[in-house]
Amino acid sequence: MKSTLVELGAERPRSVYAVVLFLIVLTGALITRIEIDTDPENMLPAHQAERVFHNLVEDRFTLHDALVVGLVNDDHPSGIYNRESLTVLHELSAAILRLDGVIAPDLMSLAEIDNIGQEGPGTIRFEWMMRGAPVTEQQALEIRDKVSRLPLLLDTLVSGDGKAAAIYVPIASKDLSHPLSLEIRALTEQLDSDDAFYITGLPVAEDTFGHDMFVQMAISAPLAGLMIFLLMLYFFRSAQLVIAPMLVAMVTVIVSMGSLIGLGFTVHIMSSMIPIFLMPIAVVDSVHIMSAFADSYSPESDPKATIVRVVEDLITPMLFTSLTSAVGFLSLLLTPIPPVQVFGVFVAFGIMFAFLLTIVLIPAYIVRMKPSALAKLTSRSRTPHTDTLLARALRGTGRFAMRRGKLITTVAVLLVGISIAGVLRIEINDNPVRWFKANHPIRVADTVLNEHFAGTYDAFVVLTYEDGDALPRFIATANALLANLDRELVPAVREALDADTDEVGAYYGALIAAIDDALFEADGQATIDVLGRLMSLAEDAQTTSKYFQRPDVLRDITGIQQALTDSGFVGKTNALPDVVKVVNRELRGGDTADYRIPESVAGVAQTLLQYQSSHRPQDLWHMVTPDFSSTAIWLQLKSGDNQDMSRVMAVLDSYVDSHPLPAGVEMGWAGKTYINVVWQGAMVSGMLKSLAGAFVTVFLIMALLFRSARLGLFAMVPLSVTIVGIYGIIGWVGKDYDMPIAVLSSLTLGLSVDFAIHFIERTRALIKSSGSFMTATAQIFEEPARAIARNAIVIAIGFTPLFFAPLVPYITVGAFMAGIMALSGIATLVLLPALMSWAGPWLFTETRKPGELSVPAPQATSV
Amino acid sequence: MRRKLLLTLITTLTATGALADPLTDADEIVARANLAAYYGGSDGRSEVRMIISDAQGRQQRRQFTVLRRDIEDAGDQQFLVVFSQPSDVRNTVFLVDKHIDRDDDRWLYLPGLDLVKRISAGDKRTSFVGAHYFYEDVSGRRPSEDHHALVETTDGTYVLKHTPIDPQTVEFASYVTWIDRNTFLPMKIEYANAAGKLYRRVEVFEVEEIDGHPTVTTSRVSDLLSGGQTDMQFRYIKYDVGLPKTVFTERSLRNPPADRLRRPEK
Repeated sequence: MKSTLVELGAERPRSVYAVVLFLIVLTGALITRIEIDTDPENMLPAHQAERVFHNLVEDRFTLHDALVVGLVNDDHPSGIYNRESLTVLHELSAAILRLDGVIAPDLMSLAEIDNIGQEGPGTIRFEWMMRGAPVTEQQALEIRDKVSRLPLLLDTLVSGDGKAAAIYVPIASKDLSHPLSLEIRALTEQLDSDDAFYITGLPVAEDTFGHDMFVQMAISAPLAGLMIFLLMLYFFRSAQLVIAPMLVAMVTVIVSMGSLIGLGFTVHIMSSMIPIFLMPIAVVDSVHIMSAFADSYSPESDPKATIVRVVEDLITPMLFTSLTSAVGFLSLLLTPIPPVQVFGVFVAFGIMFAFLLTIVLIPAYIVRMKPSALAKLTSRSRTPHTDTLLARALRGTGRFAMRRGKLITTVAVLLVGISIAGVLRIEINDNPVRWFKANHPIRVADTVLNEHFAGTYDAFVVLTYEDGDALPRFIATANALLANLDRELVPAVREALDADTDEVGAYYGALIAAIDDALFEADGQATIDVLGRLMSLAEDAQTTSKYFQRPDVLRDITGIQQALTDSGFVGKTNALPDVVKVVNRELRGGDTADYRIPESVAGVAQTLLQYQSSHRPQDLWHMVTPDFSSTAIWLQLKSGDNQDMSRVMAVLDSYVDSHPLPAGVEMGWAGKTYINVVWQGAMVSGMLKSLAGAFVTVFLIMALLFRSARLGLFAMVPLSVTIVGIYGIIGWVGKDYDMPIAVLSSLTLGLSVDFAIHFIERTRALIKSSGSFMTATAQIFEEPARAIARNAIVIAIGFTPLFFAPLVPYITVGAFMAGIMALSGIATLVLLPALMSWAGPWLFTETRKPGELSVPAPQATSV
Repeated sequence: MRRKLLLTLITTLTATGALADPLTDADEIVARANLAAYYGGSDGRSEVRMIISDAQGRQQRRQFTVLRRDIEDAGDQQFLVVFSQPSDVRNTVFLVDKHIDRDDDRWLYLPGLDLVKRISAGDKRTSFVGAHYFYEDVSGRRPSEDHHALVETTDGTYVLKHTPIDPQTVEFASYVTWIDRNTFLPMKIEYANAAGKLYRRVEVFEVEEIDGHPTVTTSRVSDLLSGGQTDMQFRYIKYDVGLPKTVFTERSLRNPPADRLRRPEK
């Protein structure tokens, strides 16, 4: 089968070209249907409990993703409380309100919120905090005094030091964050102001990253391609020859991305990296073929016969390297994160596609080359290839490794030990804002605003009360009461009682209204008595169902808020008790001593009735549901690091352990910062599973390939050393284990095993052909070692353009590529021969069966 | 059934052109509308049920009784608003002395806190107890606060456009009213903001003739930005009940006049 495929390319190059061209056109057209997805929420499956709850909470409390716009004045003695700054703030708020995609009613800014305060003894005043911009400095300072009395605003809308003001801009959809941030940026530039403006917030970071990511895809991937091309040109000195692997890489990328998009998958941050991952892997096989071809072709030989022979020699190791790499990426299916799974599947597909393409397209390409070009190729390449610096260095390396086998092994063991210590130091942490370099405007804004305010990262603790028995109990009692009454007398009451009970608040409301109407229509004292009793029963049930209106419950919430604030990990909490306390204080005259929760349910209810008599009554429903059965505590965090969020969660857990929640109350987390923790947790455990799964599968494939468990284990050495080494360095350097780093483990596995397979398979073939272990170990450091080294160098250096990307994950990938290539190259070319030097006969059974070594060698080595 | 009939009667009257020649003076139309909407009889009582729904259809209800006494037609008025539902705000009371030539006086009693407060004149275009109605919608906006222009006169309706004299004090840039030519009741009002966008709508669904006065009995305010709305039902309405001045004093805050709040006989 395999020779048929290889011959197909060599015999019918035109047909091969036609099919490839067709594939490019087909999948290339599909790429235009690209749909971008930058929402980290999609890191969790749509049905994941935490995500479902997060979305439920967003609906329940009408919470929107929000941009945080900051205005900072460090020069004025009163900070932003001066006429100019407040005027600018006022203008900016008004301008932002007019932007499409902004949820105007929920925008929070000094210019859009209410003040509640005293106007002389016994008189309370409700008013806009800053209806018009202040005209005098005195008015600006009056605003400062008002804000200082409102804990919900302080450190949220204006920083405690008075130097910064914020506008929270709720937006209709996350993918508007980046365009809206640009529009707001443009608005700030039109303002005549010396104040500094900053825009941040997780949605902006995420959406901007998505935007920049595609810019990077358009810059980095082609640049990496160019770099790989130039390096191959250096090694093979024939542009015409080098175009072939570039073709393979490009076609692979187009077909893989086209199929991904065509199958309806969105392009997420992970899948955007597919081209970058596929490009080096796709050229690897071609480099092996061309390396062998350049070394074995001579003008006298028939190019068709030579290329067919070369490919047939290499096809087994190539198939197995492709299979093992594909398995490495397929193992990502074990990670319960859909974008990572999609990434793994399509990279695996790309790898296998590249393999097929290589063995068909490269022969087709070579036989189509003019004899003169081939002649030039060999005349240029022959001498240099065996006498380059690289060739000499490799020979030396081989000799050194064989001589100092035990020393090298000892050093390697030591290094692995040190690396393991590094791995143990790895900190698992991520924060989408940190995907930008420290000097990126979003990072700068993040730093500045979190210095001033209580925090630009949101999380929500959601408390929900459910007494499943209360309603059935009430209905049973009500039915018993009504049993004595002719049901025809009160049909509306009957109907209301039997109505849907989905929303308890509406249910009781409608029932009470029906009873109230019936009471007016009722004739006869008996009916009136029953209805009166039913009324008071229903009113009691209604009041009881409004759980989070109870003073004792509000005090419990204050306790939770206090514990969170005391932990030092939370910048500030905002919740229903804060509203109740402020309004209660102002109703009672504004004395600090009255900053407390009223004693009775009615007191709380009437306080809230006043709060609702504002310009923004709907603000209440961001904190509690209209039926008062669920409430949300809004946490402002100064850091979006998963570690910091996890600490906050631990604080709350321990508080709840010592202060158990009342019966019927459930607690849950929501908010973007929390969701990021959830998917990262899933990713870390998922990646470990993937890595373990891939490790075992690759070992089995190797053992099968070499028909030897020993050699299978031996082949695992370079990749194991590389993985431990790379993650050891990460641990020692102190870089956080984040999403890109987690995913790179599969790349490490896939790429480093390639070198080992080629090395071992070729060694084995050489032992067979030469009949001598020593000869084989010398010959392996000729063409085979050169191919491995060339591959390592091409990939490592090919990705250096990524170092200049403004996005940290791209830099990470670039650095990783270089690191993986260097380490696995060294592990393969130094550690493997070193191990062979003292364990060779045990590993290679061929050396013990001299009788079998007489089989003629298929490949004529160039040495 | 009775309501429908009345409504039909009114519409028929309008349609058959039993109307006088149309008015052409916007200010006069507004003055007549003001009288029709807020000054029926020399006093009156009504029970109001509000169903406040948010964009998700989640409801809150409020029920209260309004007692009104006119000092002078188109002039000063007094209102006493006493809450009956939900039970946790029962007996919360608002007292309003509406003045034409100066700011209104407003008082508030909260039984749960046992607290009488005077409410500063401040801004009257804030939510009335969480509804999409404003304080100003309850007691009426002074015609003198806006410029009025007659935009169109149709068979049954005057269409007027109003712009505020002092735009700083209100959230709207303009509003348009559709006033019934026969009853002079505003049947629809639409508010536009500075961006020219409609953001608020008041609609009247049912009008009944009570004690000789065409009276709105069902209406709705919609918040076109957030999607929420408040439905209002006015019932147990009676005009010229003879409410004495003493009902509208601070004394009524803590001790609502039970006899005056009782529903009229069927």
